[in-house]
Amino acid sequence: MDTQSVKQYYRKHRQAIIVAVSGLLYAGGWSLGYISTFDTASAAILILAAIVGGYDIAKTAYHEIKSRTLGIKTLVTLAAAGAIVIGSYWEAAAVVFLFALGSYLEGRTMRKTRNALEELLEMTPDTATVRRDGKQKEVSAREVEEGEIVIVKPGEKIPVDGDVVEGESAVNQAPVTGESAPVHKANGDEVYAGTINQEGSLEVRTTGSGTDTTLQRIVQRVEEAQEAQSPTESLIDRFAKYYTPGVIALSIGAYVVTQNAILSLTLLVIGCPGALVIGPPVSIVSAIGNAARSGVLMKGGEHLERAGKIDLVAFDKTGTLTKGETAVADVAGFDAKAGDVLELAAIAEKKSEHHLGDAILEAAQDRPAAVTDGGAATGQADTNPALTEARSVPNPDDFDVVAGKGVIAHHDGREIVVGNRKLLDERDIKIPEEVGDYVREREERGETVVHIVRDGVVIGAIAMRDELREAAPGVVQELQDAGIETVMLTGDNERVAAAVAEEVGIDDYRAELLPEDKQAVIEEYRKDGHVVAMVGDGINDAPSLATADVGIAMGAAGTDTAIETADMALMADDLKRIPYAVTLSKATRWNIYENVGLAVLTVSLLLAGVLTSYVTLALGMLVHEASVLAVILNGMRLLRY
Amino acid sequence: MSETTQLRVMDFDCPSCASTVERALANQDGVENVEVHYATGRVEIEYDDNVADPATFEQTIENQGYTPQPA
Repeated sequence: MDTQSVKQYYRKHRQAIIVAVSGLLYAGGWSLGYISTFDTASAAILILAAIVGGYDIAKTAYHEIKSRTLGIKTLVTLAAAGAIVIGSYWEAAAVVFLFALGSYLEGRTMRKTRNALEELLEMTPDTATVRRDGKQKEVSAREVEEGEIVIVKPGEKIPVDGDVVEGESAVNQAPVTGESAPVHKANGDEVYAGTINQEGSLEVRTTGSGTDTTLQRIVQRVEEAQEAQSPTESLIDRFAKYYTPGVIALSIGAYVVTQNAILSLTLLVIGCPGALVIGPPVSIVSAIGNAARSGVLMKGGEHLERAGKIDLVAFDKTGTLTKGETAVADVAGFDAKAGDVLELAAIAEKKSEHHLGDAILEAAQDRPAAVTDGGAATGQADTNPALTEARSVPNPDDFDVVAGKGVIAHHDGREIVVGNRKLLDERDIKIPEEVGDYVREREERGETVVHIVRDGVVIGAIAMRDELREAAPGVVQELQDAGIETVMLTGDNERVAAAVAEEVGIDDYRAELLPEDKQAVIEEYRKDGHVVAMVGDGINDAPSLATADVGIAMGAAGTDTAIETADMALMADDLKRIPYAVTLSKATRWNIYENVGLAVLTVSLLLAGVLTSYVTLALGMLVHEASVLAVILNGMRLLRY
Repeated sequence: MSETTQLRVMDFDCPSCASTVERALANQDGVENVEVHYATGRVEIEYDDNVADPATFEQTIENQGYTPQPA
């Protein structure tokens, strides 16, 4: 080893070396003193141990004093110096050694916590293969420009955010969404930097590179969340401002009364609020880091602490408990052909952006043959209308949306109304008994039915179905097992809601809600004293997410608005993360309590021990450092939750 | 011109250590704003590049007994 590498080695392991040397000197000095014939030599070695171990501490203490802060290092330096002055060399060396060892271990473990995010960032490859001037060229991933085509071979990590333009593959999106099951990607699909292309070769048109990628934004937000102070942290910080001067006053007071220097120095050391101030941040950083790796973005300690108190989870029905892929299940004509009913409904809904309207339009466009009465016309949700030969549906002459009720349109001199019972009642349109029976029967299966009215006469009905997510019943059960009430909110009518609620096994449901009603319902639950989490897609439900104590947005990976408005965002469209996120928050809240409790208990016991002379300076330092380490290790358990 | 740079300190062992580093950096000439986060070890420094030399930031952190590394 040349001097250069020795120097480098020393720089890297300086703290460990200092601790080791100081420890060895301490042990040597202590043994000599034990043999007792080499008093001066023993004292000299112990002082040396204190100086080696304490040099860095004293240096920081000097800076602390210079910048008029009073930190633990100042207190430790004072204690060690004081012990030397009064001739307690053994105590001085012990205090310094134990503190240095404790700091070293604490720094090391905290580094592990801080590293949780590094792993995520390391997922992004440094280089990308781009197509420039018709040739493939390897460039730095940061330099890829928007719009450039990047080629990703099987087994490679995707270097940029972009849209697939060529090829088909399965992509493991775990770094972004936390979901390890590969997702199928083909032409037009979005892919994220840092995810892994597992099967085929892909060509991707870049939409973001370097720091402008979804993964980078997630990591940045996670860091901001970890840095934001939680209410408990700010409380403790405020408390510490008075506490530390208080400890010094106590120590001076103790000296004045007892004239015992060691006692007052011991008070200084054990009085440091170490475990108390370190506990909550470690718990929160660990929990947020763990959540990030599982594809759950938590906005910060404040939200996390509040989420720990959740006792009611409200789910939006469509797109949350269900897949959000509404498709026509059945078309019924009454004194009219089913095909005409669908056609007419499609014309009326053509300009609507409602998901029911989309389903009708889709069914009308890729209707393979005439739909027979009561026959199934399933519009396959994942068929792309642009790819299949779409039938053209004429435009309506005019068109009005009645929010939460339906649409009214005119076409070819006729008035078409497509809507629910409320809309028909409002317009005094009589619903024939056979139509009523049909509607009731479909609704009892959990399907949403609209009536089609031509010039004031009901000519048919269309039943639509939005499949339940397979995970929904299990997720509801899991929350119930954790003692959390579950509620479903929906715009559907009572009968549909009841049918779906029963299928999911949810505790309660609220039906026929307009978007603003959902907000009111959540407000109501909060007034009843519940701590309410609302789960939705984060776009349509943004107002209710904001009203809830904790707004949880699902499938947020590509949508910045959802991430912005929600308190927690699930990157994947995966309902199963909800119980995980809620129970992790609860575990975090407990963890913080445990840490604060442990810290307070330790300081109280030490204080009692010192005042009754059971606890010496060195023992006080040992217990103090042990309590700090215990608190960090306890907080780190959340990394493996 | 105002510039911003980031560093990372992974070996903070207590929240008050982070505050001490924050003060030391803030006391340097040309430094306009400093944020040091104990939780993540992130150090963000906003400075006037006509006055402050970013190379001295790392030295300052080292003087306080911590190891800076690039963010």
